[in-house]
Amino acid sequence: MARDAHSRLVGWLKVILPLSALAILSTLFLVARTVDPDAAIPYSDVEIAERLREPRMTAPTLAGVTRDGATITVTAAEARPAEESGTSASSVRARLETPDGAHTALSAGQAQADASGTLVTLDSGVLLSNSAGYEMKTEALQLRLDTTQATSTGPVEGFGPPGQIEAGGMEITEAPGAPGQYVLVFNGGVRLIYQPRNP
Amino acid sequence: QQANIAFGGLKQDTSLPVQVEADNLTVEQATGTAVFSGNVRVAQGDLKLAAARVQVEYAADGKAIERLHASGGVTMANATDAAESKEAVYTIGSGNLVMTGDVLLTQGKSAIAGQKLVIDLKAGTGTMQGRVSTTFVPGNK
Repeated sequence: MARDAHSRLVGWLKVILPLSALAILSTLFLVARTVDPDAAIPYSDVEIAERLREPRMTAPTLAGVTRDGATITVTAAEARPAEESGTSASSVRARLETPDGAHTALSAGQAQADASGTLVTLDSGVLLSNSAGYEMKTEALQLRLDTTQATSTGPVEGFGPPGQIEAGGMEITEAPGAPGQYVLVFNGGVRLIYQPRNP
Repeated sequence: QQANIAFGGLKQDTSLPVQVEADNLTVEQATGTAVFSGNVRVAQGDLKLAAARVQVEYAADGKAIERLHASGGVTMANATDAAESKEAVYTIGSGNLVMTGDVLLTQGKSAIAGQKLVIDLKAGTGTMQGRVSTTFVPGNK
């Protein structure tokens, strides 16, 4: 008798279990959230209207190699055509890698690239950090794209291996008379303060 | 021969900050050598050094400045004495200043000339070497 009940139980289970599985499975689609195709695009209508009115690029990157072999890459949060000509960009980062192995990282609030595309002017506060260990701040800096030349348009201040430095201006160029060698020249009057470490 | 010189006024605290002013500073990106050029003025406390060109030489770990190598006509002055020479090397840590090449040292009215002047700024003493010739003005106390 017991064996008979057991097999009857198994028989019933063989029917009930698959049915309940099927039931559970079907409710899956009932409770699922409806996928709203419109919400997939993260742009609001206002932004779309603004974009139509004013064409711009987000996260543009500009890269190039200068005549003497230095690679320059400039990235920004946003770039749009400037009023008169060329393009203007905001929160810009630039990186200059010279063939002598050194590299310079620049970051600035704003940048304007001229129409000819050979000069990028970084302004509204430029931070420069050079692999020779110099971290300098200046108001604006002009970065040429055709030859390796980064020139600050105003006074710079900051510090480097020798100590705290202030100068009337600053320039990164190829060393005159020594092609392949690059120098960081502080000009227009330099003042350095070095605090000796007490031995 | 050699003449020892007392540098009374030259007791120098070599842990004072060193200030260097020049027309420009050129740093070689790859090697990091820094050269000041164009009427360079080095000042530390009373010690004043003027030269046409000063090269910064770093310590081995590259963090601190080991020596300032001045060249192209150097004049050194402090509270009481003044010295001129072609070149000078100032080792900041040890505080000694070595002036070489037609050195002329003036202390008050007396003047001493020679080829090499080694000054220990901490102790305030100096020795002049190489064809030393001195001129005293009697009664200059």
